[in-house]
Amino acid sequence: MIDTTDHVEAIAEAIRVGPRVLPVAGGTKPGLSRASGPDVVALDVSGLRGIIEYDPAELTLTALAGTPVAEVAQALADHDQYLPFDPPLAAAGATLGGVVAAATSGANALRHGGVRDFVIGVRFVDGTGRLVSGGGKIVKNAAGFDLPKLMVGSLGGLGVMVQLSFKVFPRPRATTTLAFDLPSREAQLETMARLNRGPVQVDALDLDRSGVLVRLGGDPDALAARARRLCEGVEADVQHFEGAADAAVWRDAAELSWVPAGSRVVRTGLTLRDVPGLDAALAPFAATVRYSLAANLAWIAWPGTRDLADLDAALRSLGRTGVVLTGTGTNAATDARTGGSRLIGAPTGGSFGSRIRSALDPHARFLES
Amino acid sequence: MHDMEERVIGALAQLELGDRLLTSPAAMASFGSDALTAFHQRPLAVVLAESVDDVVRAVRICHRERVPFVARGSGTSLSGGSLPVEGGIVIALNRLNRVLSVDPDARTATVQPGVINLDVSRAAASHGLAYAPDPSSQSICSIGGNVAFNSGGAHCLKHGMTSNHVIGMTVVLPDGELVTLGSDSTEPAGPDWVGMFCGSEGLFGIAVEVTLRLVPVPEAVRTSLAVYDSLQAAGDAVAQIVSAGLLPVAMEIMDALAIEAAEASVKPNYPSGAALLIVELEGEREVVDGDAARLDELLRASGASETTATEDPDARGLIWKGRKSAFSAVGWLAPDYIVQDGVVPRTRLGEALAEIDRMSAEAGIRVANVFHAGDGNLHPLILFDGREPGAVERAEHLAGEILRLCVSLGGSITGEHGIGVEKRAYLSLMFSPDDLALMGDVRRSIDPLELANRGKMLVPETVS
Amino acid sequence: MQHAIPVASLGPQAQPMADAIGSCVHCGFCLPTCPTYVTMGEEMDSPRGRIFLMKEVLEGELELEVALPFIDNCLGCQACQTACPSGVNYGELITPFRAYAEEHRHRDPMDRAQRELVLRTLPHPRRFRLAARLGRLGRPFAGLLPASMGSMLRLLPDRVPPAQPLPPVFPAQGERRARVALLAGCAQQVLAPDINWATLRVLARNGVETVIPAQQGCCGALAMHTGAAERAKPQARRNLAAFPADVDAVITNAAGCGSGMREYGLLFKGEPEEQAAQRLSDRTMDVSAFLDALGLRELPSVAPDPIPVAYHDACHLAHAQGVRSAPRKLLEASGAVRLVEPAEWELCCGSAGTYNIEKPAIAHQLGERKARNLLATGAQLIATGNIGCMTQVQQHLAALGHDIPVLHTLQVLDRAYAGTLHTKEHTA
Ligand SMILES: Cc1cc2nc3c(=O)[nH]c(=O)nc-3n(C[C@H](O)[C@H](O)[C@H](O)COP(=O)(O)OP(=O)(O)OC[C@H]3O[C@@H](n4cnc5c(N)ncnc54)[C@H](O)[C@@H]3O)c2cc1C
Ligand code: SF4
Ligand code: SF4
Repeated sequence: MIDTTDHVEAIAEAIRVGPRVLPVAGGTKPGLSRASGPDVVALDVSGLRGIIEYDPAELTLTALAGTPVAEVAQALADHDQYLPFDPPLAAAGATLGGVVAAATSGANALRHGGVRDFVIGVRFVDGTGRLVSGGGKIVKNAAGFDLPKLMVGSLGGLGVMVQLSFKVFPRPRATTTLAFDLPSREAQLETMARLNRGPVQVDALDLDRSGVLVRLGGDPDALAARARRLCEGVEADVQHFEGAADAAVWRDAAELSWVPAGSRVVRTGLTLRDVPGLDAALAPFAATVRYSLAANLAWIAWPGTRDLADLDAALRSLGRTGVVLTGTGTNAATDARTGGSRLIGAPTGGSFGSRIRSALDPHARFLES
Repeated sequence: MHDMEERVIGALAQLELGDRLLTSPAAMASFGSDALTAFHQRPLAVVLAESVDDVVRAVRICHRERVPFVARGSGTSLSGGSLPVEGGIVIALNRLNRVLSVDPDARTATVQPGVINLDVSRAAASHGLAYAPDPSSQSICSIGGNVAFNSGGAHCLKHGMTSNHVIGMTVVLPDGELVTLGSDSTEPAGPDWVGMFCGSEGLFGIAVEVTLRLVPVPEAVRTSLAVYDSLQAAGDAVAQIVSAGLLPVAMEIMDALAIEAAEASVKPNYPSGAALLIVELEGEREVVDGDAARLDELLRASGASETTATEDPDARGLIWKGRKSAFSAVGWLAPDYIVQDGVVPRTRLGEALAEIDRMSAEAGIRVANVFHAGDGNLHPLILFDGREPGAVERAEHLAGEILRLCVSLGGSITGEHGIGVEKRAYLSLMFSPDDLALMGDVRRSIDPLELANRGKMLVPETVS
Repeated sequence: MQHAIPVASLGPQAQPMADAIGSCVHCGFCLPTCPTYVTMGEEMDSPRGRIFLMKEVLEGELELEVALPFIDNCLGCQACQTACPSGVNYGELITPFRAYAEEHRHRDPMDRAQRELVLRTLPHPRRFRLAARLGRLGRPFAGLLPASMGSMLRLLPDRVPPAQPLPPVFPAQGERRARVALLAGCAQQVLAPDINWATLRVLARNGVETVIPAQQGCCGALAMHTGAAERAKPQARRNLAAFPADVDAVITNAAGCGSGMREYGLLFKGEPEEQAAQRLSDRTMDVSAFLDALGLRELPSVAPDPIPVAYHDACHLAHAQGVRSAPRKLLEASGAVRLVEPAEWELCCGSAGTYNIEKPAIAHQLGERKARNLLATGAQLIATGNIGCMTQVQQHLAALGHDIPVLHTLQVLDRAYAGTLHTKEHTA
């Protein structure tokens, strides 16, 4: 067992002293971990590292919040299991706490669900310096408020996570990827909607500049037949990626390798129906976008030279909210107009959110957005 | 008391609800309990809401007059969740029962809170879609109640609980403010307020519109039955299936007593034995076929004395009807029962069952077991006859001991039925004073007067 | 559910009532199948609510008059009993409770007069025939009468077929396989005498001899199910005497009558006739269940172009007697039909004995809902097993502009044998 007392005490102390703290670990999402004001103290929690409990037969894993995703993924892979929410930026050094705080579900989360669907327990230090826990280490638990879910997407603004428990699943025994080259946006969206409705269950369904990307996972013996069925109704050129090529497609997606240099990455939830609207809104700014999770998610690469306020306005008009994940190529002058905010677009939570914040962080020790 | 009653009813009369404001003694008596009849409390009045506006206005009156209120869907809570609060009113939502929209492309449905769980799947069926969480009470329980309790079901092993399928909602806060949480996208931005609302047992206000995720209706479904000569053996089989990397959609166990009850009730024709394991696989044809072969192999190796499997919808329907009727069906075996809802880590299932068996023998009280084995979610049904002196107390004592056992094994006092009024005293087994204090703070930040479902889950601090 | 009903002081019917209440676990599984809950959406008008109210009344916690409006709303359809996983015998609660209530309640004079009129008319074929004729004359004034009296008049048929007296014995054709006694029924004899004839012909064709005891009278179900137990008893006694013991079964072809006779044991609970009554109850069987169990000796020839037929489950057959598959199997065996299943099969059509006279508004809603569900199947003919349902369904189909024939299961079979099954014909 790793003794975290000192760490926890240091965190609590930092919070009590203030004036404001921002927990930081892997630093893979600099848009979120950049201390944005003179009164903000960056609190490095990457020392809270290590797997506390993992019994493959239990399908649950508990680790300290600063544990790198890659380390967890390796431990799970040794037992043919995985984190089904497919956390991105693992190779870059993302940590569990960062993934939960940023709610970054990856492309393969389509199959079983995102971060929110797999966090089952949390221990965190709240804005008064109290160490509290919610949830547990079991897959099913209805006792008390669902604080683990509250931490998902909290951007370090509701507490400093110390320890997290996750539900895990057996990983697909084999995977293969198909890329459909379709003639129009319309055809692409129509195909995505149809594939998403089954009957062939896909692990990932993305739309990038090259077209519709589909990943299938499961029993190696059935993959080829399933892939054939998947192609049946689709009139398009199909490209197959197997083995290393299959892995590379999704590693590129996860590590955001496709993002043009000098861009900021903004992540926003949406629906398939919003795609044409977002396309149109982004067109004047030469921004690149990759749709993921059957277009429930857009990764927007926003040129560093462009004013973030324009994206803010575009998202507002769609009624969507974006999280500014990376700040490479930051244009400090223009960013001022969005107040350096990490959340842009339509506000969320309303007074429900502000009331809960007031309970967890009564002295405003954390950054709100 | 009388003055207050008049004041409250007078204030509610301003809503001009006509015969949708109930105050007659008969109405008050019939709304006095949920499915946990050990508790009964007549409310002062019942508002039968038919619109969001009805709910908002009723809640505002409660806030103005400092009257506690309890939302009620179908009243099937097993923990006293929809039990009225003394001196309070009930806001009944069962008439808010329209499926507002189904979006097959986004795979979502937006519904009113009084919609019956099964009706969501019925509305989505023509698109080849379904709503996955399937509490045994799915033919009657409401989505609002499901949200409040984060209800689960047999098929939650693979699909997750209610909160995994709720992505957006409109909520009336306990002071009447209307807020929107989440959206129609599965990907939240900012804190997961929706996830936080799910399972809050009505303490954060009333959900008046809910957006749900839908799943494709699987192409093939195969249900296997395996008979074991002990509960422990059945429990071990579950662990082996999980370890082998199979992910069935459901794994349920029933013991001999639960089988007997089901046979008395809906006659599912189960093979008889000390323990019955139900395993369901679903998905594409090829996947189910592949998994079925591996599953059959595993079941054989696990020492099952008899195994059968079927894909016939009627036969499968009957298997599940037997399983899902099991709680109520124990009414055939004993006049009264307490159903517990403890969770243990799944690797400790066998140990927990053996211990419950021992405790049951020691107390001389029959306990039927029917549970979500894949999740480690036990449902011991403690059978007793309330007419015998002291029987209730003895049954309650055993129930408490079972909860302690679950916690000591690293589990929880509730997997899906919630704390309600029934398990409030046991919450401190799982949470530290700081944890509980924080939950109280959160509650009061939303509802400083503690009007929404006062006294459920958390012990109230302020009483107005 | 625990209760504190003083069973000893409430008479012989108290135990079955207490047992039903005791086995209710308040789970609510019965709610979605209850016609009043589905239409009214109030807990008091649900089976679970009613059981609770009856408990409170019997315990002395609630005044009878306060609970009665909700008890009166109950159609007695027993859908709740079918849905109940806990084995609550709702029929054994509501029937005695209504008798108890009748003894203790206050009724206003108009109410009493109407009730009296119904109970004195419907069970007597001659009186009913007369009333039907007179009623037609009164129909223009229906609007001037209280709503329920008006609806009673509207229920009366446009024309009453001529009376067709039944013979004392209808012999089997060919080798005799069984011998049964038939309850001829009251309203049914007047409204659709053909049902009895169809029954006799089909039974005979399948080797069954039928006796029709001359001394028989009304089964008493109407009185029993509306709380008039004391009025039902003489009727039941008459049948106890009239029906012979040396038959293989006592056959009914009206679901309501069948379920009534099957409750004789309960009616006489604690009285000298109890055993004899129970024996008769045990021997009573719906004609469809009897024929299905016996097996058809001769199958009608298969029609090249089968008619889509929706079978409507009469509550007193499906719920009260648990007979659902037998009539369907017979219809399929007729070779002339293709069965289509309507949605909400468990939901009452609103006929329910005298319900559409007493609670016309709810009965109307249910009738229309049932008609829509039946129409949605695309059926060209409706089959069912109860005269009350036939009238109700027919009326509501007509009100929606659909002139679809509604026949008794045995009429369908009879016509299939005769090769005269067409969609355009009418009942009677
Ligand atoms: C026989 C039986 C079997 C059951 N099986 C299962 C099972 O397998 N899994 C399971 O999880 N549960 C099960 N339950 C428990 C119960 O059905 C669930 O808890 C269900 O979600 C309750 O739904 P309801 O509509 O009846 O809610 P109610 O009982 O009416 O209310 C439950 C709680 O929700 C609150 N509430 C209701 N509507 C709203 C709203 N719109 N907004 C906010 N709060 C609201 C109420 O105040 C109350 O606290 C079972 C119950 C029975 C009787
Ligand atoms: S008999 Fe019919 S109307 Fe009466 S409570 Fe039962 S289901 Fe409802
Ligand atoms: S289904 Fe049965 S046990 Fe459940 S409430 Fe209805 S009558 Fe009672």
